[in-house]
Amino acid sequence: MGTTKTVHILHNSEQPASVFSILESGTKNIHVIADGLFDLLMMKLSQHYTSKKQTKIESKGPRFELGDFCVKLGSVTMNQNFKGILIEVEYRPCVMANAVWGLLREFLQGLLGPTVPVQPPQHLMSRMNEIYTPIDTIYQYLEHFSAYRKVTGMRNN
Amino acid sequence: MNQAINVEQLNSALTSLRTVRSSVSLVFETLSNGLRADHGEDGKDKFLMELQELLNIVSNNLRDLEQTVNGLPIPVPFNLGNTTYLSQETTQDRQALYTQLVNSYKWTDKIHEYSSYAHTLLSQNSLKRSYINSGSTKRRGKLQSNHNVAPLQVDNVINNIDRSYNDMKITISRPFASNAVVSINLSHVLKAVVAFKGLLMEWVMVKGYGETLDLWTESRHHVFKKVTENAHAAMLHFYSPTLPELAVRSFMTWLHSYVNLFSDPCKRCGCHLHHTSLLPPAWRDFRTLEPFHDECKQ
Amino acid sequence: MSAANLAPITATDSLSQALKANIIPNQEYLLQGSVLDSAVEVLLHRLRGLCDNVDAGTETFDDQEVCFSLRDPNQQAAPLMLRVRKALDARDMPFQLRYIGQPDLGDKSRPTVVRSSLDIACSGMLIEFLNELGCRIEFEYSVKGYMFRKGRMKITVSKVFKISQSSMSPEPISQSYLVELSVLAPQGQDAIGEDMRAFADQLRPLVQLDKIDYKRLGHMSVT
Repeated sequence: MGTTKTVHILHNSEQPASVFSILESGTKNIHVIADGLFDLLMMKLSQHYTSKKQTKIESKGPRFELGDFCVKLGSVTMNQNFKGILIEVEYRPCVMANAVWGLLREFLQGLLGPTVPVQPPQHLMSRMNEIYTPIDTIYQYLEHFSAYRKVTGMRNN
Repeated sequence: MNQAINVEQLNSALTSLRTVRSSVSLVFETLSNGLRADHGEDGKDKFLMELQELLNIVSNNLRDLEQTVNGLPIPVPFNLGNTTYLSQETTQDRQALYTQLVNSYKWTDKIHEYSSYAHTLLSQNSLKRSYINSGSTKRRGKLQSNHNVAPLQVDNVINNIDRSYNDMKITISRPFASNAVVSINLSHVLKAVVAFKGLLMEWVMVKGYGETLDLWTESRHHVFKKVTENAHAAMLHFYSPTLPELAVRSFMTWLHSYVNLFSDPCKRCGCHLHHTSLLPPAWRDFRTLEPFHDECKQ
Repeated sequence: MSAANLAPITATDSLSQALKANIIPNQEYLLQGSVLDSAVEVLLHRLRGLCDNVDAGTETFDDQEVCFSLRDPNQQAAPLMLRVRKALDARDMPFQLRYIGQPDLGDKSRPTVVRSSLDIACSGMLIEFLNELGCRIEFEYSVKGYMFRKGRMKITVSKVFKISQSSMSPEPISQSYLVELSVLAPQGQDAIGEDMRAFADQLRPLVQLDKIDYKRLGHMSVT
C-alpha cells in the first residue's frame, strides 16, 4: 500500500464504554470513536494486515477529585517495563482550552512547583478555541505514548 | 339533585352486575376443577349439590340485578357529538383516534395528579414572593400588573435583551401555560434557565456548557453550583416589582459578565483559583461587574 | 481529596471476560420477505397491533448505507464486507458500522438464517478511516421505512432506493417493500429462532417470511 499506516487503539477509564482509534497516515490523523465491540472488529481486520510487533503501553494509577479538578497519576508501562509517570489534570466545567488555560497553569504550578514551565500541549495548540471533547484527551495521551516509545529507558515528564 | 340519585343507582346497578359476573365465574371455576379430594366418598352427589347451590346464588344475584336495572330511569341519549358515529366507521385510516385518546387520557390524569400535589404544597408553604399568597389586598392590586403581563410584552422585553448581546443567546419557551421559561447560552461558558412569572424572575439555575438544562437539577460542577447561588442572590438584589423591565435587564447584564468566568482572575487576590475552595472567581460585583472570589468580595 | 484506589479493570480484561461469559450479541437470526406496495398498509396495520413500540405512532427511519469491502492481500480469504449506515432523518446520531459474515442456512430443521454480525456505534471520521484502511466502496443505497419491536425481535418494513444524483427524488428499486425480522443474540441461543418462526406465522397471511438464500437467487437469475 505504499506508505505505512499505523492504527492506534486506545481506551480511557473515564469513558469505559468507548473505544478510541486513531489512524496515522503520513501527516494526517483520522480518529473514530466507537463502542466496545470495535475491539472485536479490529481483531477480525488484523488478519488482513501484516502487523508489526504490537506493543501495548498503558498508564495506570490513582485518580483524585479535588473540587472540579480531576487529577490522575499514571505510571506508564510498556510491555511490563516501567517508563515514567504521566500526570493528567482535567478541569471539567470548562470546554474551551483558551479560556481555561491560565487557570490550569496556576493549578499545575501549584502542584508541580512554580518553576516548572507549563506549555499547552502540541495537539491543543491549533484547537485552543474549539470545544474540547474526550478524543482530545486521547490525542494527548497518544502524543506522550509515542514519545515514550521512541525513548529507551527512563524519561522525565 | 336528580342527577345525584341517578349516579347512586347506577353505582348499585354496576355493583350487582359485578356480583353476577363473579358468581358466574365461580360456577365455571368449580366446574372446571371437577371432583376434588374434599368431596369425600360419594363425591359425585356432593359436587352436584355444590353446583346447585352456586347456580342458585347466580339466579338470586341475577334477580337483584334485574330489580336495580328496572329501577334505573331510562337514560336520555347522551350527546356524544361526532363520537357517536365512531362505531360505524370501518376504515382504519380514518379513525386515528386511539393514540390521541390515550394521550389525552394520560394528560388529564397527570393534570389531576399534579394539581393535587401542587395544592397541598402551596397550602403548606406561604410563599412570600409569589402572587398566590400575597397577603394584603393593597399590595396585590399593585403587583398584579407585573405578574400578569401579556406574553407578547414579555417576549418583546426578552428579545430586546437578546438582540443587544452577540455572545449570549436567549430563547423563550412556555412549557407551563403562559409563563415564560427562558434559557440562556452564554458563549461556550455556561447555560442558564430562568423561570418567569409575568415579568418577574422567580427561579434561576446555572449549568455548564455540556450539561442538559432543566429547572430543578443542580449542575454537577462545584463552580456552577456557586454561580447558581450567586445568581439567586442577584435575582433578589435586582428584584423591583415596580420596574420589572429594568430588573430583568440588570440581571441579564450581570449574568453576561460571567463570559470571562474561567479566564479572568480575581480583582482582589489576583489569582484564578482561591487557595481553599479551588474555585475560580464566581462572584461578580453588582455595580462594577468585576470578578471576585466569594471569599475575597468583602 | 478523595481517591479511588481500586485497581481499574482494563478494557482488554473486560472484553475477554465478556467473550468468556458469551454475552456479546454477535449472531444475527434473520428471516426475510417482501410485500407489494399495494399491500403494505395492511401489513403495517397488523404490525401495529402486534408490536410493542406503537404507543406514540409508528417509528420511521430513513438511512443511507454504504457497503465497503476489504480484500485479503494474499487472496486467500473471501473479502470482508463492512456496512456503514447513517440516519438521514437524525443527523446528529452516530454512524452504525456493521460487519456481517456469511449466512448459514443450515438444514430444514433450523428455523432461521444465522449469520455472524457485529453492530458498532461509531462517531468521528469513519468513512475516511475505512478508506485509509484500504476498504473500497462497493455500492450504496438508501432505505426508508418503518421499524417495529416485539420483545427482542426487530421488524423492519422498508423500501430500498437508488442514490439519486443531484436533487432528484430518489428512485425506488422495486415496486415492493422489504420485510425483515431479526434478532441479535449471543452465540448458542437458538431458541429465539423458534420464537421468530412463531411470530412469522402470525404474519403469514400477509407476508411470507423465509430463509432467503442469496447464492441460489443469483444462480436462478443466470439460468
